[in-house]
Amino acid sequence: MLTIALSKGRLAEKAIALLENAGYDCTAAKDESRKLILEDENAGLRFIMAKPADVPTYVEYGAADIGFVGKDTLLEEGRDLYEVADLGFGKCRMCVAGPVDLKDGKLDLIPNKRIATKYPNITRAYFEGVKKESVEIIKLNGSIELAPLIGLADCIVDIVESGRTLKENGLDVIETVADISARVVVNRVSMKMKSSEIKPMIEKIKEQIALL
Amino acid sequence: MNNAKFYTADGFTDTLPGICAFKKQTESNLRELFRLHGYKEIETPGIEYLDIYSRPGFVPEESLYKMTDQKGRLLTLRYDGTIPAVRYAAGIKDFDPSSLPLRLCYIENMYRFAGSGGGKQNEFTQAGVELMGAEGADADAEVIALAIKSALGAGIKDLQISIGQVRLYDGIARQLGLDEQTKTEIEKAINSRDTVTIEKTCDRLNITDEGRKLLLMLPDAQGTYDIIEDFEALVKDEEAINALNNVRAILDCLDEQGYLKYVSVDAGLMGGSVDYYTGVIFKGYTYGVGFPIISGGRYDNTVEVFGRRMECVGFSLSLTLVLTALLRQGTSMLEKPVDAIVGYAEGFRQEAYAVVERLRDEGLAAILDTTGMDSDALDEYGRKLGIEQIIYVKEEEN
Repeated sequence: MLTIALSKGRLAEKAIALLENAGYDCTAAKDESRKLILEDENAGLRFIMAKPADVPTYVEYGAADIGFVGKDTLLEEGRDLYEVADLGFGKCRMCVAGPVDLKDGKLDLIPNKRIATKYPNITRAYFEGVKKESVEIIKLNGSIELAPLIGLADCIVDIVESGRTLKENGLDVIETVADISARVVVNRVSMKMKSSEIKPMIEKIKEQIALL
Repeated sequence: MNNAKFYTADGFTDTLPGICAFKKQTESNLRELFRLHGYKEIETPGIEYLDIYSRPGFVPEESLYKMTDQKGRLLTLRYDGTIPAVRYAAGIKDFDPSSLPLRLCYIENMYRFAGSGGGKQNEFTQAGVELMGAEGADADAEVIALAIKSALGAGIKDLQISIGQVRLYDGIARQLGLDEQTKTEIEKAINSRDTVTIEKTCDRLNITDEGRKLLLMLPDAQGTYDIIEDFEALVKDEEAINALNNVRAILDCLDEQGYLKYVSVDAGLMGGSVDYYTGVIFKGYTYGVGFPIISGGRYDNTVEVFGRRMECVGFSLSLTLVLTALLRQGTSMLEKPVDAIVGYAEGFRQEAYAVVERLRDEGLAAILDTTGMDSDALDEYGRKLGIEQIIYVKEEEN
């Protein structure tokens, strides 16, 4: 029996479709009820529906063997996992964004900048590790774009897909921190103890990715 | 005093009676196992100078519990068993090199912020050994075999030991001419089995097809002798070839003891947060816990940091994780009632003392009632607790 942790929402649907194409019976996972654990004994699969940010935790502790989760969550959570495949979908960028007049290197001229973000760990790693500067991080939980508009922060670090929300609010991407896409993660112990089930699954997932 | 804290600190927990009894018994079994293999137990202080741990590559600094002594010197709670053993071995006063190797063992509690050694518990018990002043595959295999025996002896049935060799990747990196930064980057990718990053890096650096094949084999290769042969077909660097020979010789030793069935070679096994490994490296896994229960390897350059050259290999077993695994695998650790309870009628205390002592001499856990229960009350109490022998002393014994 393999336990698979899925991020509730669009990513879960895509992951299920991919597993089905790979030959796994995911009928259980498509149950429309509000159950959080969906099990199919015949298929040898159990799905758990978790908040995206919790998927790496379930997998790290071994409560789930495999997880499907965005690279943004993996970077932010920094868990000790095997990251075995890039699913290629859910593509977007983690960006530093701010008022348009901060483009072309002007951002770097602001000392001790205040940065609003949902991703404090990624933000700290980027500014301290890559850009070698001290910053003040303000953790917000949504509508991050508001922060620079209202004067709470100089700029933001957030996920950008189309950039439309930014544009409509007079903001723009200033720098790219990382490219994001959905990943398959595996618990370190499960990889050893259940390798006869997990390894073929990873191979089949990779075959499907190659077809996308 | 109503605001007294009735709960344990973050990351710390009580070991309850049934589990505690099981744990102490397991500790005794391990202690005896180590003794039978010639390992001498040492106790090191629960608190060490921070200095012994704060060296590059030893441990992640942020995981150490730090404090100061009354003179303001920095101290840390014991993080592991290896570094204190190393400190001790490097400082032995009447040191006689001809008496090596030194065999040390320990069973102690370790303290780490958010470490995985205890499955995220900040305090956990480790049992481990250090074989010091011994080079070569025979020494490596002795320690790995003892790790296997320890886990089996503790009651773990489904055991999987993975063996890697840090020199293999070092040699391959040199063979391919990787610079320091790329080497670290790929090492991280191998450690997380991230083949995507390895391929991207190969593309970026125009690494040859053969080199690419080698690098992609590292995170993927698992098996025993077959893996070694696969690598030998491609590896040219002398250090890497020596690493493969070392692993083969270890497998031979383990095979001769019938332990090969627990072992597989994992070429992608890396030191992770601990950077002092210089040769073989191994981890042990079982069902029920998401973290390795055994961790070990060879560290030839560590004692030297403290001023004396000694090639070493060791392992530690997390008793805390073993207990978690056993509980999840269905082992019962229920608290058992005592074997006997003795009560007495007024005037017969001395006789009761004699009775209860005799039971204890027979090895039974026996308690003497101190609350003055009469025969019926004692009977009811004894039954309720499931005590097998209920004895009420009311007349002189013959």
